[in-house]
Amino acid sequence: MALQILLNFLLAFLWAAMNDTLELPTLIMGYIMGMIAIYVIRNFLPGSFYMIRFYRIIKLIVVFIRELVIANITVMKIVLKPKINVHPGFYAYPCELEEDWEVVLLSSLITLTPGTVVVAISDDYSKLYIHGVHLTDADEEIRGIKSSFENVIKEVGQP
Amino acid sequence: MSSIIAILVLSGVFFSIIAAIGVVRLPDMYSRLHAASISSTLGVSSVLLGVFLYFWYFNNNFEMTLLLAIVLIFVIAPTGAHMLARSAFHSDVEPYKLTILNELRRDEIGHEELREEDKQRAEERKKEKELEE
Amino acid sequence: MNLFLNIVFIIAIVGMAIAMGIASYRIIRGPTLHDKIVALDAFGVMLMATIGIFSVLLDTSYLIVVIMLIGMLGAVGTIAMAKFLEKGWVIDIDRDSDE
Repeated sequence: MALQILLNFLLAFLWAAMNDTLELPTLIMGYIMGMIAIYVIRNFLPGSFYMIRFYRIIKLIVVFIRELVIANITVMKIVLKPKINVHPGFYAYPCELEEDWEVVLLSSLITLTPGTVVVAISDDYSKLYIHGVHLTDADEEIRGIKSSFENVIKEVGQP
Repeated sequence: MSSIIAILVLSGVFFSIIAAIGVVRLPDMYSRLHAASISSTLGVSSVLLGVFLYFWYFNNNFEMTLLLAIVLIFVIAPTGAHMLARSAFHSDVEPYKLTILNELRRDEIGHEELREEDKQRAEERKKEKELEE
Repeated sequence: MNLFLNIVFIIAIVGMAIAMGIASYRIIRGPTLHDKIVALDAFGVMLMATIGIFSVLLDTSYLIVVIMLIGMLGAVGTIAMAKFLEKGWVIDIDRDSDE
């Protein structure tokens, strides 16, 4: 992916040099033409077309913002009731991601949604221990996290 | 545009007040960590986004520093929350007495060395379940 | 800046002051030391929002660099205190190796 972005910038500069100017609209036009050229020769470069990866990253950010707002409303309902009855709990979550940066991204996203905080990670990166504020059923929560977060991160990680 | 800025700033202030009330009312240190680190992050991000839009629209001044501050809060707040939770667990801060599962303690200590307090608590919970039935 | 936005920002800064006052109760009272660190972390982040609204009310753009500085210092302080309470030192230096 880095090679494709570098080639795209070089093609943009080549276009600006052939038009004998260095203004911003010419560079943007050269960038778009370079993107078309790289799309045509995408089978000869390593990795898939990088715009697909950008689209998956943007989808991840949108999913994350929606989860953040919904879970904040849940915490607000817990705090504002007259009598608080929360049942917190620790549970273990089996994780199936392989690379290091994917595990880091998953635990950051789990910690950022309210109601779950990652407390410890086992040594071989296969289990995450999570503390939840209001825990009705541990298996249900595991399934919720798996369906919403882990699939999207696995899609980003594919080359 | 004025209404968008007003909605963003007022919702940010509302979430910050919820976070402050949560820090006072919740019964346990781990629960207070949830309310303080995460709710206040969302609230302050909304306020800073409103301030950025105000400076861009009314003074025609694109401040990149505010966007950088928002990204900084999103990166640093979960790291700080994780470090606090881990250090509290290893310093034996007691969780709330109605905590349901404690698999982390079981995996770290081992099955044979459950402390006597945990055994008493398990017995009390069994008696409560029998009374309910 | 029209009148409507002026009123909105004055209400916002009063609300943030109330929130910081409520959080400071937990700083004074909290039974363990970790409670105090949690409340101080929240207090530092709310201070960033307060300075942001303040710079709108005073109609200047010189206070925005202060926001980033306070955020960085507060975050590093929280992480350093948490690590110190867990282990007893902050930076891991291995003095016995020969590197």
